[in-house]
Amino acid sequence: MGMKQNKKRVRFTKDSAATALMLTPSVLFLAVCSIYPFIWIFRYVCYDYNGFTANYTGTRNLMRMMNDKAFWGSVIHTFEYALYKLVFIIPLALVIAVLLNAKMRGSNVLRGIYFMPTIISTSISGMIFSFIFATKNGILNGVLMSLNLIQSPVKWLTGMDWVMVAVTIMAVWGGFGNYMLYFTTGINSIAEDVYESAKIDGANTTQTFFRITLPMLSPVLKVVLMLAITGAFKDYEAIMVLSKGGPGNRSMVMFLYIYNLIFGTPNSTTQAQIGYGALLSVMAAFIVGIVTAIYMFVSRKLDDVV
Amino acid sequence: MEKGHGVYSARSRVLRGVVWILMVFLAFLTIFPVLYIVFGSFKQNAELLVGGTNMLPVKWVLTSYIDAWKQANFAIYTVNSIFLATGVMIISLLNSTMAGYVFSRRQFKGKELLYSLFVMFMFINVGSVSIRPLFELAVKIKMNKSLWSVVFISAGTGQATYIFLCRGFVNSLPRELDEAAKIDGCSFFQVYYLIILPLLKPVMATIALLSFRQGWNEYILPLVFTMTNDKLRPLTVGVNMLKNAGDGAAAWNIMFAGATIAIVPMLVIYCIFSRYFMSGMTTGAVKG
Repeated sequence: MGMKQNKKRVRFTKDSAATALMLTPSVLFLAVCSIYPFIWIFRYVCYDYNGFTANYTGTRNLMRMMNDKAFWGSVIHTFEYALYKLVFIIPLALVIAVLLNAKMRGSNVLRGIYFMPTIISTSISGMIFSFIFATKNGILNGVLMSLNLIQSPVKWLTGMDWVMVAVTIMAVWGGFGNYMLYFTTGINSIAEDVYESAKIDGANTTQTFFRITLPMLSPVLKVVLMLAITGAFKDYEAIMVLSKGGPGNRSMVMFLYIYNLIFGTPNSTTQAQIGYGALLSVMAAFIVGIVTAIYMFVSRKLDDVV
Repeated sequence: MEKGHGVYSARSRVLRGVVWILMVFLAFLTIFPVLYIVFGSFKQNAELLVGGTNMLPVKWVLTSYIDAWKQANFAIYTVNSIFLATGVMIISLLNSTMAGYVFSRRQFKGKELLYSLFVMFMFINVGSVSIRPLFELAVKIKMNKSLWSVVFISAGTGQATYIFLCRGFVNSLPRELDEAAKIDGCSFFQVYYLIILPLLKPVMATIALLSFRQGWNEYILPLVFTMTNDKLRPLTVGVNMLKNAGDGAAAWNIMFAGATIAIVPMLVIYCIFSRYFMSGMTTGAVKG
């Protein structure tokens, strides 16, 4: 009896050791890659730190943030970018998901093509679009000129009025397939007999879409919108490659502005300003949090109304 | 009545045709940038610099690839990309299956807390700033001389989604399997290794694809870590460095070839496994 219990205990501790060992990598990753940087940021919020020496500066960073027109400009551009992206990408993705759901020739191939941009690195797609949008020898201007749609080349990436258009086109291209897929999954979960009975009742395609698909999709739509909003606020990689935030900060979004502060812009002599960048990161995370909270509040209120 | 029906259906057939043509046109627009860069990589540099509306090269040449391979270190970049992507994939697979199994099958103190920490830090995003402390840490422990640090950080920051996928999948497996194996004398680890792991194959395929893509497409992280070390750069960074080099105009053809090398392997993998990619993306988003 005693032996048996002993044996059981040995196995128990052995299994516990195995559990601990198997969990070690993920816990280490969590601690090193997620928690440590998060705490580290707060350590430097009140410092002037260039990567080598750190000086305590009290509230100077905070004061600087309040008066930093370039930063608040980048915040506004982030909102602008997110708005443009969502306005085009969500309806487009939704309509395509609905249309693909109606059986049509080659719908699987089409779906595969629409989703394809999401597997390409955003840095590479930024680069590809910088070639397409090139003013002098870009193919877009070439095509538009030969169709006589424009008289002189459009300055897609160097014109104040055009750069956001270019950035939005790239963002929609790179992301709509992803959201289309979310909607497709949502549509597939709507029971077939709902559509059957709508058909029997004589509903046409438009009615079916607005009276059945859209309302039944609203839980999915809410999640997708949430993912899309938070995603759009975090985009900066592709913009960094496409336009570098220019011209004159016109396409500078907040996370790109912060990146430039923390790691320095290429071909510039200004030192990294990590302490200030850390404070702005906290602010940026806070802004994203607020936007998410407002969105959740509004969508819940809408639930009560509808 | 009959006639009316006929007219309606003819109209709707036309409508469907128009919709289909629009959809095909959209598919063309979607694939156009990729075709443009791939065909462009076979053009001569002079042709690229003139521009115009031709997508197909006037004269097909391979010089861009030869130049990219010889002058611009693309052989090294390619090896680095393969190393980075494979490394992230293997570590993600090992780590997420083990953690997912433990989270699903084992009770221990602080499990809920730990799990909620994983969830929490998936949503807290402070952007690129978090790379800075990791970079300084890597320098301090002298791990900035190889790509291993990039592999570890990439796998570490992406792990939560994969762990959730595995945990969900193990949850769906009957516990009787574990019990039976235990009665046969299997230890906790042996149950994982001999029973659970073989059953996890479908979800492992998804994780393998997603994590390989993640490693292959990683940009900001290797950019920061290889700022001063050209020999460690993966393709994404190497190609973009050419663009920033200043004499950009001269090297358009090399950049086209480089971008092609950077996207074609992923495209081939995607063509073969597109179904896994799509299912992985949706389950990952819903479960996460």
